[in-house]
Amino acid sequence: MAGYYDKGILVESLCSIHPREILVTYGSKKLLVDKYHWHSPKLGVVASYTPTDYDVEGHFGIFRGVDQIESFVQATSASLSKFLICQKNNCAPEDLKDKFVPSFISIGSVNFMSSLEKGDTFVILGKITFYKFRQMVCDGRIYRCPPGLDLDQYFKDFNEERLSKYDLAPDFKLISDLHEITGREVDFEYFKKKK
Amino acid sequence: MERQEIIDSLIEVLRTVRMIDPEKLVSVTEETDFLADLNTPSSQMIAFVAKVEQKFDIEFEDDDIDDLGSKVKDLVDLILKVKARG
Repeated sequence: MAGYYDKGILVESLCSIHPREILVTYGSKKLLVDKYHWHSPKLGVVASYTPTDYDVEGHFGIFRGVDQIESFVQATSASLSKFLICQKNNCAPEDLKDKFVPSFISIGSVNFMSSLEKGDTFVILGKITFYKFRQMVCDGRIYRCPPGLDLDQYFKDFNEERLSKYDLAPDFKLISDLHEITGREVDFEYFKKKK
Repeated sequence: MERQEIIDSLIEVLRTVRMIDPEKLVSVTEETDFLADLNTPSSQMIAFVAKVEQKFDIEFEDDDIDDLGSKVKDLVDLILKVKARG
């Protein structure tokens, strides 16, 4: 069976839930994913976010590069690995809240091509390149979306091949290219010891 | 499998891990600490352990890795334990 049960409901894909339902340990003001549009548990994800006033406050209306990386890691390794852990352990994200801490492990490289401002909806295309022992490595890209596009409709028939080629319409603007973004769900007891 | 034989195989795998100075591998013993002595980054540690699984044709559980110490002898013990449990 693909997925897990949460309060008696089968969650077969991230697309059927709000990011807050799986990113349970992120505070409301630090959640930088609005919606998942495509998800394949062992391959990757497409998600979107639109920066708010709060996100760009004190930074000239610009959504910072470091926040792009945070948004990417939330949409990819944090969401994708939590999904797989829930599936493996047949439990809900809430059940793991006190067991694992989502941790940033390392960043390979990031290249920024353009910038994002408040209100610019962007999509994250993330590909899993390694997953083992709750550690996930992802490559991917961030694109600014054409205004007004229905992203659920656009990504309805998305697939592995299109993900691997970052096959999007030309009016999606490439913002950043990210490599070897690594996160791990660290055992809470180990995390406390290391602290 | 003898412990020294396991250590020799571990060194072979360590040679494939980037960011580990090959010169430090000359003096690896059971007491060598992957993190403190070899400066293995934590991100590379998981990739290294995954390669160890392949090398020894074994499969670790998530809990095995959570409980794993950072010394060579800890990994040798784990390999022997996993081989014994089949």
